[in-house]
Amino acid sequence: MHPTGMEKLKELISISDVIVENFSSRVLEKWGLSYEDQKKIRPDIIYCSMSGFGHSGRDRDYVTWGPTAQALSGLTFMSGLPREESAGWGFSYMDHTGGFYGALAILMALKHRNSTGEGQHLDLSQVEVGIGMTGTSILDYTVNNRPFRREGMPPGNTAPDKNIAPHNSYRCKGKDRWCVIAVTNEEEWDALSKAINKPSWMNSKKFSTMESRYTNQSELDQHIETWTINKTPHEVMHHLQSFGVPAGAIQTPRERVEEDPQLKERNFLPAIKHEELGDTKVEAMPMKMSKTPWILKSASPLLSEHSAEIYMDLLGTSGEDFASFLEQGIA
Amino acid sequence: MTALNGLLVVELCGERGQYMGKLMGDMGARVVKVEPPTGSPERNIGPFKDDKPNPNSSLYFWARNTSKESLTVDLESPEGICIVKKLLKKADVFLEDRDPGFLESLGLGYDVLKKTNKKLVMTSLTAFGQDGPYREYKSNDLVALAMGGIMHSCGYDDVPNSPPIRPSGGHGDFISAHYGLIGTMSALFYRDFTGVGQYLDVSAHEACSSTTEASIPTYLFLNKEVFRQTGRHQGATPTPKTLCETLDGKYIIVFQLFNNLNSWMSLVKWMSEKGMAKDLEDEKYKDMARHVTSNTEDSNHAFEVVRNFILNHTADEIYRGAQELKYPWGIVRSPEENLNDPHFLDDRGMFEDILHTEFGNEVTYKYAGRPYRFKGTPWNAFRPPLVGEHTISILKQDLEYSEQEIESLRLAEIIPTE
Repeated sequence: MHPTGMEKLKELISISDVIVENFSSRVLEKWGLSYEDQKKIRPDIIYCSMSGFGHSGRDRDYVTWGPTAQALSGLTFMSGLPREESAGWGFSYMDHTGGFYGALAILMALKHRNSTGEGQHLDLSQVEVGIGMTGTSILDYTVNNRPFRREGMPPGNTAPDKNIAPHNSYRCKGKDRWCVIAVTNEEEWDALSKAINKPSWMNSKKFSTMESRYTNQSELDQHIETWTINKTPHEVMHHLQSFGVPAGAIQTPRERVEEDPQLKERNFLPAIKHEELGDTKVEAMPMKMSKTPWILKSASPLLSEHSAEIYMDLLGTSGEDFASFLEQGIA
Repeated sequence: MTALNGLLVVELCGERGQYMGKLMGDMGARVVKVEPPTGSPERNIGPFKDDKPNPNSSLYFWARNTSKESLTVDLESPEGICIVKKLLKKADVFLEDRDPGFLESLGLGYDVLKKTNKKLVMTSLTAFGQDGPYREYKSNDLVALAMGGIMHSCGYDDVPNSPPIRPSGGHGDFISAHYGLIGTMSALFYRDFTGVGQYLDVSAHEACSSTTEASIPTYLFLNKEVFRQTGRHQGATPTPKTLCETLDGKYIIVFQLFNNLNSWMSLVKWMSEKGMAKDLEDEKYKDMARHVTSNTEDSNHAFEVVRNFILNHTADEIYRGAQELKYPWGIVRSPEENLNDPHFLDDRGMFEDILHTEFGNEVTYKYAGRPYRFKGTPWNAFRPPLVGEHTISILKQDLEYSEQEIESLRLAEIIPTE
């Protein structure tokens, strides 16, 4: 990094509340910007580092991307059908969730700073954030000595932890179209029975209690699929929901963007103008806040879109100096 | 000193919302979980300690309810509602995940509560939100993952007739709770400057819908629907399989094979030393690593050679060898296998022994510990509460009920009798 660039970065730190970065674990230290260094510049700084393995420990120099963190933490293994390879996550879930925990840690640290005036270093590891969500499996091992890696696991879309059935995905009308149904108690079972006009198989002893339905769930699932197979996922959902049965369509991206009336009503995809992509849409914060509503200020920034504003307005750099920074490739 | 020192949080949550309270409690807030006299239904979810079902021994419950107190009251009685209302007058935060309209029907809606406590932050985390055509629809973890589009991205492309797969472990609930708590903490931050609370209407359906990475942008910008692929990212076009089996029957995720030239050359050197690089020293692969060219056939071939190399080594050899070369590859571990990794177990102290005095003074169990390391205000969890463990102390000390009043509540079975 250019010495003048570093000087400007330090000026920026001196007027900042929070520094957040996701480099591998030694990068800021090498730049002379460890927490101790930052603290000298800004005593109450909140520094959130989000590396793969954390800033301490023997493997701190290892690196992750979302899929690495998912694999190591156990999340990839937990998604799949028994006796098949892992289905895993079809996207970088741990990039989302690492970010959620970063945001949570920063907000909690800000709350603490509001009360005490003190900042601190928040050392996050993407793999550890994933491990945190495997708490039940860890306890099943440390308390009961039962590993998650065992016959019959992972459980696909069934629910061995709850011993409930039906709880699965079902084929619907259309190419590769599916719905889910999850019946959690007797009341919902009775509702399901009404909703599908109580076919004769429902009278079988095999399905008379939650326990027997759970034991005979593969046969139960076959029966249910004979009912869903001629309906679209949304037809299944609307019909069953009108009787009070928890059911949902496995929605495609197009359905979420174009059709889902709930997402539309709640303005889930507000429009925004992007300087280069034109009129587009982005996902909103999934909540309404009565006093401080979420506001979509702008689309994602173009590279260096705000440099002039930050150098000149925030840091008080003169126009002349800024022009020369641009020329030298510092800005 | 803890980060959330001094906050009183009242939680009326089940599967969807309970993690918000846990995360706040673990960072020092005082969290009171309001439960029916027999205990919250989520106490009946397995697995159980020693496989013996009991509301106090659900390991599912333990993992999601550390650092809370339990207040059992009958919310079907006016006196029970009155107890909760008194507590909410003193509370900073009210977390709830009941169906829309339920709390209003008890006289515990935000409009009522704010009259006696203007600083209250109330977070309602529901399946679909407080309004809209699906407001009354029933949901749970599976339905949330289906409707929100997460399942659409997860599953197999090489297992015939297989359905989309829900990642197990309760992630529909996790995603909802994470967003709900981000909102709650933001509201508390705002309150520090204004002294007023607010109401948050959080939707699990929207939370999941906004956690699907490239699915929506791919549709918006490429007009394509992504499809699921075994063990790796969904694609708009097919990509090579990244799951590679190892000599010891495990799997490695091979991510970013053509990362950059240096990594690529060191990988080929490593394979060559073992006599298994085949033709990968060819210049054309270097161009791919420089990102000057790309060719699906060559890329697939390179993956096959690497796959064969991996099949002849153990998972640990490949994981550590590749990481030394700066490849972000990982072992597909089962959760408990991290208890054998000294980086997480010993060096980072990721697993925490938590005292369970109900089984004896010295008895501890090892939990998955802190998801973040706060250097100034450490994470500090204590065991989940037994059903109703703190009812009497809350009534006496916080709400100043007399012995006599408590006895009459017992007789009316508004609080448990024993």
